[in-house]
Amino acid sequence: MRPTTKAAAVLASLVLLTACGGDDDAGADGPDEVTVGVIPIVDTAPIWLGKEKGFFEDEGIDLEIETTTGGAAAVPGVVSGDFDFAFGNVVSLMVGADQGLPLTFVTNGTSSAGVEPDFGAVLVPGDSPVKTPKDLAGKTVSVNNLKNIGDTTIRAAIETDGGDPEDVKFVEVPFPEAPAALANDQVDAIWVLEPFMSAALADGARAVTYNYLDMSPELDIAGYFTTTEYAGKNKDLVERFSRAMNKSLDYAGDNDQEVRDIVGTYTKIDEPTRAKMVLPVFRSEFDEASMEKLGTAAVKYGTLKNEPDLDALLP
Amino acid sequence: MTSVTASPSADTPAPPRRAGGRGAPLSSAALGLLGIVGFLVTWELVVRSGLVEERFLPTASTVLGELRSLAGTSDFWASVRETVTTWAIGLAISAAAGVALGLVIGQSRFLRRATNSTIEFLRPIPSVALIPLASLLYGTSMQSTLLLVLYASFWQVLIQVLYGVGDVDPVASDTARSYGLGWAARVRYLVWPSALPYVMTGLRLGAAVALILTITGELIIGGGGLGTAIALANSGGATAQMYALILMTGFIGVAINLVARLVERRALRWHVSVRREEVA
Repeated sequence: MRPTTKAAAVLASLVLLTACGGDDDAGADGPDEVTVGVIPIVDTAPIWLGKEKGFFEDEGIDLEIETTTGGAAAVPGVVSGDFDFAFGNVVSLMVGADQGLPLTFVTNGTSSAGVEPDFGAVLVPGDSPVKTPKDLAGKTVSVNNLKNIGDTTIRAAIETDGGDPEDVKFVEVPFPEAPAALANDQVDAIWVLEPFMSAALADGARAVTYNYLDMSPELDIAGYFTTTEYAGKNKDLVERFSRAMNKSLDYAGDNDQEVRDIVGTYTKIDEPTRAKMVLPVFRSEFDEASMEKLGTAAVKYGTLKNEPDLDALLP
Repeated sequence: MTSVTASPSADTPAPPRRAGGRGAPLSSAALGLLGIVGFLVTWELVVRSGLVEERFLPTASTVLGELRSLAGTSDFWASVRETVTTWAIGLAISAAAGVALGLVIGQSRFLRRATNSTIEFLRPIPSVALIPLASLLYGTSMQSTLLLVLYASFWQVLIQVLYGVGDVDPVASDTARSYGLGWAARVRYLVWPSALPYVMTGLRLGAAVALILTITGELIIGGGGLGTAIALANSGGATAQMYALILMTGFIGVAINLVARLVERRALRWHVSVRREEVA
């Protein structure tokens, strides 16, 4: 009941405001409908949790979460206006900005777990000669998308370990199919995130590097973004959405079990796996230093042409 | 594409095909069942023998069990309903458009010539190549998938109708003309009955293609239905569920084919091909 009364109060005050000032704010006669495009994976748990907890309702937002089957739909969805906001990884947005797409994060989304085990890793078969990242030189490694956050962080891990970051071949294999590719020797190593990481480790694979963690324990991996045009035109709405989203992130960060439970409502990950899997860190603040490090690495390994402008990218 | 043009002739099977005699219908049903059982047993053995790891392909019995438990959930039936709805809307629109345009274009020498190269250019464009366009136009909504379905099944129907209209007996056509039958009467009594076997073939082909594209669209674009459920099960590592859903799409395909044949038989019960089959 309480959120409804609060929403009603917000509504009433909005009506009053428009009655007085004749404001041109379109959403004055009810909660603003906001559509957010997300991938149905563990990383997007906070927005589902926040919706369930009524954090968005509290801000006068009628939240519609639309799942896309792949991350590729996120940027076109936002640019075409189908989504008001979408969930996307940091390097994808840097690449977008590099190609002249004016996109900007409004809040954080997921960050590295900060300790071992992280929620993503490069895995090899148990009997593989590859022991540390530098041994990946000359090997074939699968990533879900080429020229993105996976290969960039893996190259960085190889270089940090004293190997040649250019002497590694990346191929595209979706996360769900990667464990089979590893078992059938189609690749020498795979990069997977949860829940596939835990499953593969349980089946005898070995982690060579937790590449996010190796980049920085504070690394922010993905966030919620929109176009700079939308952000400029809807300042108030963006502010309210950010408040609700940040509250959701901090809530998710403090309530592991609720995260594991809500994941069961929008994914098909079974209960035993959900109980065991490694969760990312959910927090509202961005870590700029680690993002700068990631941006520099992305330029160095050819993922980006120019050093990203973090001031434009971050809220 | 040869199979498309050749298929009308398959609607007039020569008598020897039914040479099996009186026992044939029964044994063909039994054979069909045997085929399915054989497939399931092979699947079970391939996994149990360790040829394929069970974590990548669960056994047939596991998958069937999963399908049975899925059948008890409302989510599952909501997905099935969404898929069938998209399929039905897509097929209905492309059938109506295909038949209407086919009848008009097919009867005019000028229109046939004027559209021929355009049709031959547009037809081979794979519907899946339109996915980027569809998702830009309609996002992840059902309309995106519908666009793919329409594009793929429309040509199947149109081409068949064009062939059907072209197959009208010229003597009959001249006779109708000399008796002073108008355009509408000629379509009603001459062109439509002549083209009907082709129309039915077009519908059957279109129905199958429409299902394929419905699942593809839902799988790649999203927006609900069995395809999206498959993608979701896949991204959640729920392998058995994924294969159970895939099996379900197969069952829907069989059901659609059975219905299409039934409709074909009823619509063409006067036609020589169907009459002969019933005698056999």
